[in-house]
Amino acid sequence: MTCLEFQRELPEYMEEGGGVELQAHLRTCTACSGLVRSLESIVQEARTLQASEEPSPRVWNSIEIVLRQEKLIREPQREGRHSIIPSLRQRWGIAGWLVPAAAALLVGTGMLLYQQRPAAHRLAGASTPAAPIAAVAAGDVSDQQLLQEVSARAPMMRAAYESNLRDVNDYIRDAQDSVNANPNDEEAQQALMDAYGQKSMIYEMALDRSLP
Amino acid sequence: MTEPRQAQGAALTEAQAIERAKQGDGEAFEFLYNLHKRRVYSLCLRMTANTAEAEDLTQEAFLQLFRKIGTFRGESAFSTWLHRMAVNVVLMHLRKKGLPVVSLEEATEGDEDTPKKDFGADDPVLSGSVDRLRLQNAVEQLPPGYRSIFVLHDVEGYEHNEIAKMVGCSIGNSKSQLHKARMKLREFLKTSRAEKAG
Repeated sequence: MTCLEFQRELPEYMEEGGGVELQAHLRTCTACSGLVRSLESIVQEARTLQASEEPSPRVWNSIEIVLRQEKLIREPQREGRHSIIPSLRQRWGIAGWLVPAAAALLVGTGMLLYQQRPAAHRLAGASTPAAPIAAVAAGDVSDQQLLQEVSARAPMMRAAYESNLRDVNDYIRDAQDSVNANPNDEEAQQALMDAYGQKSMIYEMALDRSLP
Repeated sequence: MTEPRQAQGAALTEAQAIERAKQGDGEAFEFLYNLHKRRVYSLCLRMTANTAEAEDLTQEAFLQLFRKIGTFRGESAFSTWLHRMAVNVVLMHLRKKGLPVVSLEEATEGDEDTPKKDFGADDPVLSGSVDRLRLQNAVEQLPPGYRSIFVLHDVEGYEHNEIAKMVGCSIGNSKSQLHKARMKLREFLKTSRAEKAG
């Protein structure tokens, strides 16, 4: 058997091993036996590439947000879970009270601002730019406080939270614009509620679960 | 029901986590994610050679899985189900990008991969010098079609008949592409070793 003939049979040899003739050629040909050993070492090393890399924390963070949005993660009704305050006290100190309070205020303010607008105002479709601006401005302050705490506790997570907050703030602005444009649009109203709900969720995740 | 919560990661088994995830337990989802994230992400990264795409695809694979977790009955291993889903997500992504999941060179290549007399000459055997990092770099250089088959077979351990079904080619084609992928890797590794030496 020549080297050329051997190489034609090489794919099958690598899969199933070779017959007597192939084995005989390998014993006498250093070039072909060297080639086979090279390929075998590639095959052997290939398995080390399995599960060899770690995704960034951003991936789970994003998955968790979607799971909560889609209600696949449901808040358990178990003892000790009805309030995040005790764990916050341990983990965050004074900031544990201030930041979620600011978040709650932000979410509540956003909803109240919409709900308390005069009906005529809503029906007329007149925009009240002060409302979203005030809410977002309050949000900016709270967001910065939250990010500072995230940086202090888990610096690697800051970028992910920053990105998520930016996205949800954009979502709030868009939803608010839609409500302003169509005050009677129930879908737009729901979107605005969802947007504030998502922001609240991000705060809760940051403060209660996702950080070490 | 006052079942005590077991320490996550220590006592929780995969089967328990699956059942809890079906009930909407966030920690169970996280447990399952942590159990399989490296395998899924590595698969996505090897197939795309792009970290941002790999992360997006990892996210998509897990989300698809978690959305369907209520239908999981345990007939097959959870990991088998997840990995097959991840492969499908990546292959779909490659197709959407217009990248071949099977190399197009198969039909057009001429002499490049046909037998050469000196194919094995001056091959002082790569064994011993094929480390993970060098192989990883070499795999990234493979054309997408060759890369898919190599990753699915040699890294992930799928059989040719499974790969043929997944990527939509014949078993013979899968074998042929795998061999060519390995030969190309050998070339890349020899070149990289020569550059390192020089």
